[in-house]
Amino acid sequence: MTTSTTNANSLLAIDIGTTSTRALLFDVVDGQYRFLVDGTAPSTAGAPFFNIGEGVRRAIDDLAALTGRRLIDDHENLIMPSLSDNSGVDALVATMSAGDPLRVIAVGLLEDVTLASAQRLAATTYAQVADTIKLNDRRQTADRINTVLRIRPDLVIVAGGTDNGASQSVLDLIEAVGLASYLSPESQTPHILFAGNQEIQKEVSSALKGIGKLHIAPNIRPTLNLEDISPAQGELTSIFKIIRQAQIGGVNELVGWAKGNLSPTAVAFSRVIRFLSKKYDPDKGVLGVDVGSQSTMVAAAFNGKETLRVYPYLGVGTGSVETLQKSTLTGITRWLRFDISEDVVRNYIYNKAAHPHSLPVTKEELAIEQALARQALLLAVKNSLSDFPPNIPRPALNILPWVEPIIAAGSVISKAPSSGQALLILLDGIQPTGITTVVVDQNNLSPALGAAARINPLLTVQIIESSTFLNLGTIIAPVGKARFGTPILRVRMTNRAGVVTTREIKYGTLEVLPVKMGEKVRLHLRPLHQFDIGMGRPGKAGEVQAVGGAAGIVIDARGRPLYFSPDPNRRLKLAQKWHHVITRKI
Amino acid sequence: MLAPVRHISPLTLIQRERVLPVSGQVIARQGQAVSPNDVVAECILAPRYFMLNIAEGLNLTPERADKLLQCQKGDNVSKGDMIAGPAGVFQRVVRTPYSGRVKLTGEGKVLIEAIVSPFELKAGFDGKVKRIIPDWGVVIETRGALIQGMWGNGKAAYGLVQTMLKDPADELTVDQVNISVRGAIVIGGYCQDPQVLESAAKAPIKGLILGSMSSALLPLAEKMTFPIIILDGFGQIPMNSIAYKLLTTTTKDRDISLHAQAYQSSKGNRPEIIVSLPSLGLIEPLLETDAFSSGQKVYLVNKSYTSQTGIIEHFLAKPFMFPSGIIAPAAVIRLDNNDLVKVPLASLETFGEKTNMETY
Repeated sequence: MTTSTTNANSLLAIDIGTTSTRALLFDVVDGQYRFLVDGTAPSTAGAPFFNIGEGVRRAIDDLAALTGRRLIDDHENLIMPSLSDNSGVDALVATMSAGDPLRVIAVGLLEDVTLASAQRLAATTYAQVADTIKLNDRRQTADRINTVLRIRPDLVIVAGGTDNGASQSVLDLIEAVGLASYLSPESQTPHILFAGNQEIQKEVSSALKGIGKLHIAPNIRPTLNLEDISPAQGELTSIFKIIRQAQIGGVNELVGWAKGNLSPTAVAFSRVIRFLSKKYDPDKGVLGVDVGSQSTMVAAAFNGKETLRVYPYLGVGTGSVETLQKSTLTGITRWLRFDISEDVVRNYIYNKAAHPHSLPVTKEELAIEQALARQALLLAVKNSLSDFPPNIPRPALNILPWVEPIIAAGSVISKAPSSGQALLILLDGIQPTGITTVVVDQNNLSPALGAAARINPLLTVQIIESSTFLNLGTIIAPVGKARFGTPILRVRMTNRAGVVTTREIKYGTLEVLPVKMGEKVRLHLRPLHQFDIGMGRPGKAGEVQAVGGAAGIVIDARGRPLYFSPDPNRRLKLAQKWHHVITRKI
Repeated sequence: MLAPVRHISPLTLIQRERVLPVSGQVIARQGQAVSPNDVVAECILAPRYFMLNIAEGLNLTPERADKLLQCQKGDNVSKGDMIAGPAGVFQRVVRTPYSGRVKLTGEGKVLIEAIVSPFELKAGFDGKVKRIIPDWGVVIETRGALIQGMWGNGKAAYGLVQTMLKDPADELTVDQVNISVRGAIVIGGYCQDPQVLESAAKAPIKGLILGSMSSALLPLAEKMTFPIIILDGFGQIPMNSIAYKLLTTTTKDRDISLHAQAYQSSKGNRPEIIVSLPSLGLIEPLLETDAFSSGQKVYLVNKSYTSQTGIIEHFLAKPFMFPSGIIAPAAVIRLDNNDLVKVPLASLETFGEKTNMETY
């Protein structure tokens, strides 16, 4: 290893995605941490390399070519720490989402209690629950053994009972898991994560001694009414790393370079959301979404308490078929602003799944991909609502609670041809409520910042505060019920020059206030007919300072949840109208 | 820039791993000549266990029941064998309802592994075993034509072909799939009629190769017991000219192997057709990794030009904005019909043929 002669604190973040591997460089410029540039290469976790190293090297080479900075020495090693000639970096962190989702069996006593918690824990990483085992599932021990052997899980998560609660029942469930592990060839023995009754940890360890790869975590359901999966997430992250090191070549080396700091991308992303929730209005949460080729993730945090869900087969590329299968074809086509037959849409989706790297060349092709993104977001956010704390302020059940800001990532959003298109995907898919700000992580920095926070929190704070995210716009989305065309909101906008404009917003409309990017205005909002804009109660008026985003300030009065006309022609015309409204130049 | 690769070649060296899904036993020997239906390895795919509660059966405590065991770990037992007892006044015994092997005993229970038929991994095509992968499988090598597709229904077959194609854009119709194609691997163009698949199943045919198919037929295609490979895509797409030429000439009167495995780009699995051919001399394998270069033949996957092939004329100096508004690195391609079109590099595949061109 070359020795350091500098005090610089440069950091290299490597992100291994399903499609692309990126190398992001951060360094101190004029006394502040800055994101400088990133290098990109196709990911090589899969065929024909089955080794992430090739993709990592190419991404670093791309970065080196862009910066003129030597990062790899003559022996093909990363130069770390940095040298006086500005070569190398001082630290490296890594995030990873590539690889097949972990195959998981969730074990718990009661379906709606501990088993549900075990499944929620699994959902915080790139995993798919292939089967569950519970107290009353009628299978005998031998059948449970056969299930585990047939599925060959990477991981078994065991939850139950509460602390000082059920013990023998839990040990009975573990019997089948232990026997299956004993009977499996060594190469197929699953990892076992016990996150149940702490009182029986010793018995569990003793029962599985020498026959399983056992990991212990704090009880994710310490009482019937309390679920706390955060402490177990750390152990799950460690298991994820161990499994990937065994499954995919090159991960070992990367973990070595990162001195162990390799996180699942979703977990790192979630850290940033949690940090932001402590920075912003404590009465509102912060929401983060990322729509990828294979998976979609939803991370939220309410006053520091986070929730995270990864949907491994809900995406717009390799995951596009599953997005279709989890909806209906109409669920995708209802978003289109072109008259495209269902056959053409279906064919496109299946072709896209086979060629996820291919790009939409025509407006119609792009519209289909953006429709997929909307539907993936809608399904992911809807399924995540039940994870949010029950006592947070929200306008109604089954719609998004008040959150601000909303951070969005994923190429289908960050590389949309216009800010208006990106914003409309998010408004349609997420359907925010009340007053919020929507920002795009256009350089997809959040996972890198989340990973960096563990070793250099100052870097993370300074980058986030340096306006690295693109503000798409302030959104005002009143919640309530009215007939279409009924005025539901009066807006009085005063700009810095003191010019006042007023508008009356009708239910069912989408309107853009022509406020330029960065321009500050004062908005007086008076909801009518008991509509709620998050001022404390339905009908309550109030004043807010707002900043124009890339798409201005948008008032989304189309209703929550969004209503779709049963008439396909009417739906088409509305989609065209909304697109036109939001993509007009300000 | 790394390029996705699709192999379509009239003659190349083909090496394929034939690997069990779980570890097992390799039966073939290194150097052995194999035919498609030869078993090269086998394993127990999903072991089945059953547990006998001998304490309950003998009406004794677990400790006392263990003392009356008539078998031990590792014993082979047959259906009806006494495995515990006799006990009590009525001389109670416990017999095994299945044949198998005793895996574990203790605490008043006996765990028995039932005898199940092993999963047999077949060679899949004519060739020679090049290498053994201990406990997992073999690498088989052959020389011949190779045609890769983009979708398969997971089945495999080997047999003679019968082509219904006179033009790459032909549609396969139900009147073409009749008793006359019974037992054959049928080559068709586009298929959109579910009755075609149903007639094919009734005939029955051995396999089906299509240029394209309506995605509405996918649920039915997945259920078919014969392999189906789609070469170019979903929707009405003419078969690509290179595959069309090969399938209508090289495969004539030959047995071909059809492996309609699902396309998984991450694993490198593509549905493919292998036609083993006699040949002498040095033949090189196609490249598994490739980079784009001027003058290179490529395959287009974007919707407007799917299945068309062409030559890279040159790369655009800057990323290009397409009508969709997407900006991406692109190349100018001269299609086989001499049209010049701009295509994103991300929507191109190469054929893995070695060139001496400077790469992009």
